[in-house]
Amino acid sequence: MSDILLDCRGIDKSYGGPMVLTDVDFQVRRGEVHALVGENGAGKSTLVKIITGVTGRNAGTMVFDGKTIPEAHSKKAAQELGIAVIYQELSLIHGMTVAQNILLTREPLYRGTRIIDVRRMNRMAQEMIDRYGFKLRAADVIDHLSIGQRQTVEILKALSGNASLMIMDEPTSSLTSEESAQLFEIIRTLKQRGISVLYISHRMEEVYQLSDRVTVLRDGRRVAVLDREQISPAEIIRLMIGRTLTERESVNRMVRRDGEPVLEVEGLCSGDRLRDISFTVRRGEVLGLGGLVGSGRTEVVRAVYGIDRFDRGRVKFLGQPFVPSVAGAIARGFGFVPEERRLQGIMGDISITGNVAVPNLDAITSRAGFVSGSKELEHSRRAVAMLNIKPADPERAVGTLSGGNQQKVVVGKWLIRDLKLLIVDEPTVGIDVGAKEEIYTIIRALSDQGVAVIVVSSDLPELTRISDRILVLRQGRIVKEFAEGEVTEEDVLLASSGITTGIRAEVAP
Amino acid sequence: MSIRVVRRLILVGLMVLIAAALAAASPAFLGLDNLMTLLQDASQTGIIAIGFTLVLITAGIDMSVGAVVAVTAMVCANFLEHTGLPAAAFVPLALVGGCLAGAFNGWCITRFRLPEFIVTLASRGLLAGLALIIAVKDADGFVKNVFITNEGFLKLGGTVGPVYLSVIVFFLLAAGTQFFLRRTKAGTNVYATGANPAAARLSGINTARTLIGVYMFSGFCAALSAVFLCARMMTAMPDFGIGSEMDVIAAVVIGGTTFTGGEGDIWGTVIGTLFLAMVKNGILKLGLSPYTQPIVIGGIIVVVVVVDVWYKSFAGAVAARARRRQAQRGQA
Repeated sequence: MSDILLDCRGIDKSYGGPMVLTDVDFQVRRGEVHALVGENGAGKSTLVKIITGVTGRNAGTMVFDGKTIPEAHSKKAAQELGIAVIYQELSLIHGMTVAQNILLTREPLYRGTRIIDVRRMNRMAQEMIDRYGFKLRAADVIDHLSIGQRQTVEILKALSGNASLMIMDEPTSSLTSEESAQLFEIIRTLKQRGISVLYISHRMEEVYQLSDRVTVLRDGRRVAVLDREQISPAEIIRLMIGRTLTERESVNRMVRRDGEPVLEVEGLCSGDRLRDISFTVRRGEVLGLGGLVGSGRTEVVRAVYGIDRFDRGRVKFLGQPFVPSVAGAIARGFGFVPEERRLQGIMGDISITGNVAVPNLDAITSRAGFVSGSKELEHSRRAVAMLNIKPADPERAVGTLSGGNQQKVVVGKWLIRDLKLLIVDEPTVGIDVGAKEEIYTIIRALSDQGVAVIVVSSDLPELTRISDRILVLRQGRIVKEFAEGEVTEEDVLLASSGITTGIRAEVAP
Repeated sequence: MSIRVVRRLILVGLMVLIAAALAAASPAFLGLDNLMTLLQDASQTGIIAIGFTLVLITAGIDMSVGAVVAVTAMVCANFLEHTGLPAAAFVPLALVGGCLAGAFNGWCITRFRLPEFIVTLASRGLLAGLALIIAVKDADGFVKNVFITNEGFLKLGGTVGPVYLSVIVFFLLAAGTQFFLRRTKAGTNVYATGANPAAARLSGINTARTLIGVYMFSGFCAALSAVFLCARMMTAMPDFGIGSEMDVIAAVVIGGTTFTGGEGDIWGTVIGTLFLAMVKNGILKLGLSPYTQPIVIGGIIVVVVVVDVWYKSFAGAVAARARRRQAQRGQA
């Protein structure tokens, strides 16, 4: 029996456009915890999708447990081989018990019937739970379990299907720190039992704590495989970012803007998602909010815009107290470009005109309450011209535009009014380079006109480049502010991961 | 105690209260005759509601159940009018007809991925029209009132001791279906398909087959109810069952099965059915206009749904607090 469980060689992948993965070699040994790291867009999730049969590969060979995986791989085939994915959005069936979920489709039956032997099912599940030393009761309904407990159930479900490779994609992003500690315990147990874990995380301290080996991807290529003794958070980050200082302008100067405060937030708290958040955004300033997924970045802007309620804290707008509500925010001149464009930003079947009109109905409605078709069209023509939306046809359904042009429509909705504050959450996810540049230009132009802008982004080059000032959040707190001097992607990533002893310590004042 | 048990106790308690109030207002309410009629009435809606519960658990809906009743009634009428076949020969055929209607619904929904509401609303129209076309007509082409004299068939509308046969069948079918849902693999698949279809498919469940089966069962139940209805009324009209969806939905929803799928069971539906039948019976016994029935039923649905939503978030909050406390104890 070979020591290598999964052996991928020369994997190429493109979705029709540029190469997403180029000639990637990737091996997972039996019973090891293997971390896969890389920046957003480095190709981690694509590699996982290829391994789990969600998408195909263009070239390369894959061998799992001595069996060659054919080109025509599938989710089902991966499952049968023993490759299990612990989904972030948990794939459990609510209303059912722990035992039912673990043994779904593998329920023990009374001999010769299709009737489930519930007692035996509960016993089997409980034995399994106890064997791994988890604290769960097989007969409990999962609905009121915590997220961490549900994740445990999901792991058990995979184990009962005889998984030998367990893939976990950012498993701790929605867990509390105690729950994360429990998960690490589980991972160590799995390892002792000879099960391999492929671990994907942005949290360097986790990677450092857990992994036996680390594979680093950058721009779709494998740049390094590190052994246990070579792993250090700073080294991994250096490898992930790699070409800093040479190929990319990654040192960015923070700029101080002294305009009057537009938005002042004081002591914002919301459960354990936001803890005592205070900050100010000024006229003409672009404030970047950085941090890992789940750090509270998005929650901050959603609370300020009045989408989510919060427990405590005060918000002032242009010096006046402001109780966040969406309608109030819009009336005061906020614009909001949400994270999930397709779900929250656009109405795909409706024309550009219709999309632009929705938040501006007060401006285009006559006193009698009828929408003026000509004003509506005039507004959308203006947005199309201002933002160079292509094709420049106001009647086109927004869903048929490219990602970049869709995003311009979302921004365009807010430009019609007297905009004071623009909030953009992940403004350039899924759009091409040219359109990205245009979005950056628009943001810069708006701030030059005196609009205050808050940018939330996971894309570090983007964040460091367009922000005048950056706040980094971690576990619901602001942990670092970059207000003056030079900032690199590394600095932000180190702060996000909670690593204090950075490799650029010599630069710090 | 689980949410489900508490909810059920509340309903049963309410039912006892209403019964007591009705008995006080009208002594006839507790008479054996009235109770048996009440149960008979309940079983008519209840048999359909059992099939409908399964559909609702899969997060679907079946708007065609009333029209299946009408078509089944007309199929029986034709056999009774034009053939001398015994009931044992054509009743099974009529039931198969109900299954076929359900299979058509399920097939359209899964094969073409159409919304359940649209498919079953369309087949409601198709079947209601079909019922009129195949209705037994007189020489002038008018729908004829068929008087049923087939003794074997009429026995289906009769009683065993004081209890109507349909009531016995209702409770047996309920018990069997409950067992199927909770104790068999196929029943588990029904819940899984409704609660999280993507996860169900990933776990290897054939959700399309499950859905087709569920709609077939719904058609079967509607047809079964139709047979009892004709036998009890001793006649068959092409408008039998039309519009009964309202009562069926009310019974199932009062019983605690949600529209979001994955939740609910047959005992809930049985309680919901009895509750509804009692309210309807009470309205008549109190001498109120029968026209107030739909208003009362509509009102009950609104109240039940609002209370359910409120109670669920309340129970969730309680569970979260308990969890936190447990975690704190663990740390201490």
